Amino acid sequence: MRDILNFLIRSSNWILFAVYVIASCILLFSTNPFQHHVYLTSAGAVASTVYRTSNTVTGYFALRDINEDLQRRNADLEMQLLGLQQQLRDQRLQLYADTMTVDTVLSRYSFIIANVINNSINRSHNYITLEKGSADGLKPEMGVVDQNGVVGIVNVTGEHTARVISVLNPYLRLSCKVKGNQHVGSLQWDGKRHDVALLEELPRHVKFKIGDTIVTSGFSTAFPEGVPVGTVISAQKDGDDNFYSLKVRLFTDFSTLSTVRVIVDAMTEELRTVEQDITESRRKMN
Amino acid sequence: MTKSTIQLTVLTIVLILAQGIVFNHICLFGVAVPLVFIYALLKLPVTLTVNWVLTIGFAIGLSVDIFSDTYGMNALACTLLAMCRRPVLRLYMPRGEEPADPVPSSASIGRSVYLKYLVTLTLLFCIFIFVIESFTFFNIWRLILRIICSAVLSVALMLGLDCLFSRRREKRL
Repeated sequence: MRDILNFLIRSSNWILFAVYVIASCILLFSTNPFQHHVYLTSAGAVASTVYRTSNTVTGYFALRDINEDLQRRNADLEMQLLGLQQQLRDQRLQLYADTMTVDTVLSRYSFIIANVINNSINRSHNYITLEKGSADGLKPEMGVVDQNGVVGIVNVTGEHTARVISVLNPYLRLSCKVKGNQHVGSLQWDGKRHDVALLEELPRHVKFKIGDTIVTSGFSTAFPEGVPVGTVISAQKDGDDNFYSLKVRLFTDFSTLSTVRVIVDAMTEELRTVEQDITESRRKMN
Repeated sequence: MTKSTIQLTVLTIVLILAQGIVFNHICLFGVAVPLVFIYALLKLPVTLTVNWVLTIGFAIGLSVDIFSDTYGMNALACTLLAMCRRPVLRLYMPRGEEPADPVPSSASIGRSVYLKYLVTLTLLFCIFIFVIESFTFFNIWRLILRIICSAVLSVALMLGLDCLFSRRREKRL
């Protein structure tokens, strides 16, 4: 007994070392990011308070770039508005003939505006922390966009903070397509540059040009169809020649992210129950 | 004893916050990330037992992890670093010589020994952290470049910190 005790005391360094290494390896290799506990992320109470305080100062640094983005966006929208007004005028003339009333369709999507309080672009797995959480209606798996394009998907929510898996994180695979046709590929970051991602598994017969816009496919509840993602800058064949993989320049500037919109899909629950029914009935048939 | 303990605690907390708020967001030329918080681990007194060094290292690593959403990556690297600290010091220090001040600095263990100690451990830490990080993407040249650039930047910043503290101490005297 005494020998065992002596042995334990003598090699306590190594035992403690092993314990810490195993503990950190468990944290490190629990690869499923959805299982992470909120207190060990930047959405935890202490970390989020610190980030919120620092953001009150650093939030002003990128204002010039953001302002430019907004003005560009504003100009685009004004152009669109003018075009639409013209169309409306044309159509109103036609509508005089019809007695049909124009319905306003209840919109399926709504937005929650949130401030970014922490963001990284230089790691291999990047995350973003938001200032709003479950108390403001955020739930995991909601999509996040900013004025330019797709940003990421909500991953862990605290009461007043939430962590978002950035597009710049290989855990996130986004179903996307080339604007104007229906073939879907999956967008994933390759870990190299913070403004470029890869659109993989796009079938070989899809027609596209360099400079075409890539948009979301709408196959998940996170993003509606047609949210802009980026433009094609180059293309290459995948290993087996049946698929293209496209390099996509992202519209979103992740280095100056400050305010984002979280997309709330009113049909999430409905879709989920419907899809659950399908899998259950399939299981019964088997 | 208590005074230096408090000083070290404050230094550790300030370094962790600085790493989380400032240094994590710096990335020079897309390769060099300053990892300055290990300064707190390097400055622990030589007389401290290995168990304490390991515990403090793990705690520092975990707190930096929480700030940067890198589960266990810094914790693992810091634990490994804490284990390497004593062998590295033994390697460079002349045998049987006890430092005047238990806190390693250029005054207590000699400038060249201290510099070697700082560079070796920072390089080791950068190797640990970037190898752990690159389990998923493996690009050997980029990895080596990142390790070397980050180590150089971190050592430069830590030497700057050293100057800051030693000058203050001289003024007080």
